[in-house]
Amino acid sequence: MKLTILFGGASFEHEISIVSAITLKAKLSSFDLTFVFCDQDHKFYLVEASKMKANTFSKNQHKKMPELSIANGCFTQKSMFGATEYKGTVLNLIHGADGEDGTIAALLDFFSIKYIGPRIDASVFSYDKRYTKWLCSAKEIKSVKYELLSAKVHKDITIPYPVIIKPARLGSSIGVSIVKEESELDYALDTAFEFDTCLIVEPFLVGVKEYNVAGYMANAEIHCSIVEEPQKNEFLDFEKKYMDFSRSEHVLKADITPALEKKLIANFKKIYRSLFEGALIRCDFFVVDGEVYLNEINPIPGSMANYLFEDFQGSIEALANSLPHAKRVKVTYDYIHSLSSAKGK
Amino acid sequence: MAIKSIQYNQHTINMSYEIINPHAKVDLIVLHGWGSNKNLMKKSFSPYMDTFRHIYIDLPGFGNSTCNLMLKTADYARIVELLMIHINASKDIILGHSFGGKVALLLEPKVLVLVASAGIYIPKSLKIKLKIVLFKTLKIFGLAKLRSFFVAEDAKALSEPMYQTFKNVVNEDFADEFRAYGGKALLCWGESDSATPISSAYKIKELITDATLEVYDGDHYFFMNKADDISKHIEKTFLKTLER
Repeated sequence: MKLTILFGGASFEHEISIVSAITLKAKLSSFDLTFVFCDQDHKFYLVEASKMKANTFSKNQHKKMPELSIANGCFTQKSMFGATEYKGTVLNLIHGADGEDGTIAALLDFFSIKYIGPRIDASVFSYDKRYTKWLCSAKEIKSVKYELLSAKVHKDITIPYPVIIKPARLGSSIGVSIVKEESELDYALDTAFEFDTCLIVEPFLVGVKEYNVAGYMANAEIHCSIVEEPQKNEFLDFEKKYMDFSRSEHVLKADITPALEKKLIANFKKIYRSLFEGALIRCDFFVVDGEVYLNEINPIPGSMANYLFEDFQGSIEALANSLPHAKRVKVTYDYIHSLSSAKGK
Repeated sequence: MAIKSIQYNQHTINMSYEIINPHAKVDLIVLHGWGSNKNLMKKSFSPYMDTFRHIYIDLPGFGNSTCNLMLKTADYARIVELLMIHINASKDIILGHSFGGKVALLLEPKVLVLVASAGIYIPKSLKIKLKIVLFKTLKIFGLAKLRSFFVAEDAKALSEPMYQTFKNVVNEDFADEFRAYGGKALLCWGESDSATPISSAYKIKELITDATLEVYDGDHYFFMNKADDISKHIEKTFLKTLER
């Protein structure tokens, strides 16, 4: 199968995206892969598979690689005599800003390029944690209570300590801190405000169980991965989550009752349906007293959560063959024609 | 990392800083040199001295801290002081490398750690003097375009306010300030430093009443692999302040 991996992006998670792309190169080894790197200046480069190493990008070697432009239905490489087209389906693997905020979705939709990844509306509701809360109330899914803080308006937090403070628009755990007492609050706020002007404050639930489920829609059916109980050391910070790099080994299925598993999967499907079609997403849930709460949606999970799927290549292939088609309006000029004929011209 | 907005002379400066060991009671503030940033300092010193609360600061115009106005060294000290007030930090120990050493000195901490510090005026060599005369002559002939061949490595690619700032802070003589400092000073120097030569260290040692000098192998950045030993000396120096 032909697949173009699009990675990088002008995002705090730029480097994680590079790690994800390198992992997928190994995980999708039987595919015919093309690698397209988007640098922080929004230029696209064609990267040879053999150059897919973290150093390539940190040393700016990509600048010497062929630059691509985007055209209707494909990426193109211009040369002296015409242009080479790269037409395969794109896997949007840009985490965070650009990739998950709807920018890349809009770009690919506009140029009629088929892609795996969240569509614009799905991106909007999963990227900004405020809108995920709204989505939860609209879809009647439980989520942890929260308060909003903005850099502009001073407001006191009424949730009792310990609380967890998160930038509203960042994936992974960048800028997130747990605040146990007031003396720690100021630094935690400065840390989070470095990344976003809007913060979410939630109670930090001690001893909560956390479960992750990934899944995708193919052949009109939602396919879910195994349920994973992520290893956590209070909570996963950025380094633990990603800097053990690939997370490519298979993980064990969480030891939970069939009833809880059913409940988690039902919640996943409720979130996914009629919004995330075309994407492979991972939802992170909290379970408190048998109740399932949505913590966050990762519409482009790190390394595409490959470790949760038994047949990852088969899953991606099935998803690629069931992508939704963006309907494009056909402009017929009927109205102008009818006016013209009425006027007898 | 964290960001704090500081108001200074009708300008807003976003100061990037990072705290390590947040619950320790004694503060160690670490200031980097010209053209450097807090990460370099953090990489060297964060594994050591875990009884101190380490505060790594990006000086205005460097790392992730912003700067859109021209500053003098005293302004730098005042801005760092304002940040310290905001984050409730005290002047127990301040470590400064190179340019950061001058800022540290003006903050007058209890323990001043100068790592290859700037602040002693070194007369320009004949070569540099000739270069300046040559460029000034070229300028008369309208060849100012050749500036990049002449301008100091540290001044290349600087924004206009930062270039003005650079001209302000370079070649300052802080002999009087060194003499006026009344706390305990620990001087750490690389023997083959060419940016702030070892002779500066001897001069500073003479100027400051209570100063100890540790000389190491290495150049201007010798501390990067000597942080372990420097840290031990810092702890020792700090303990001495408690004896009195």
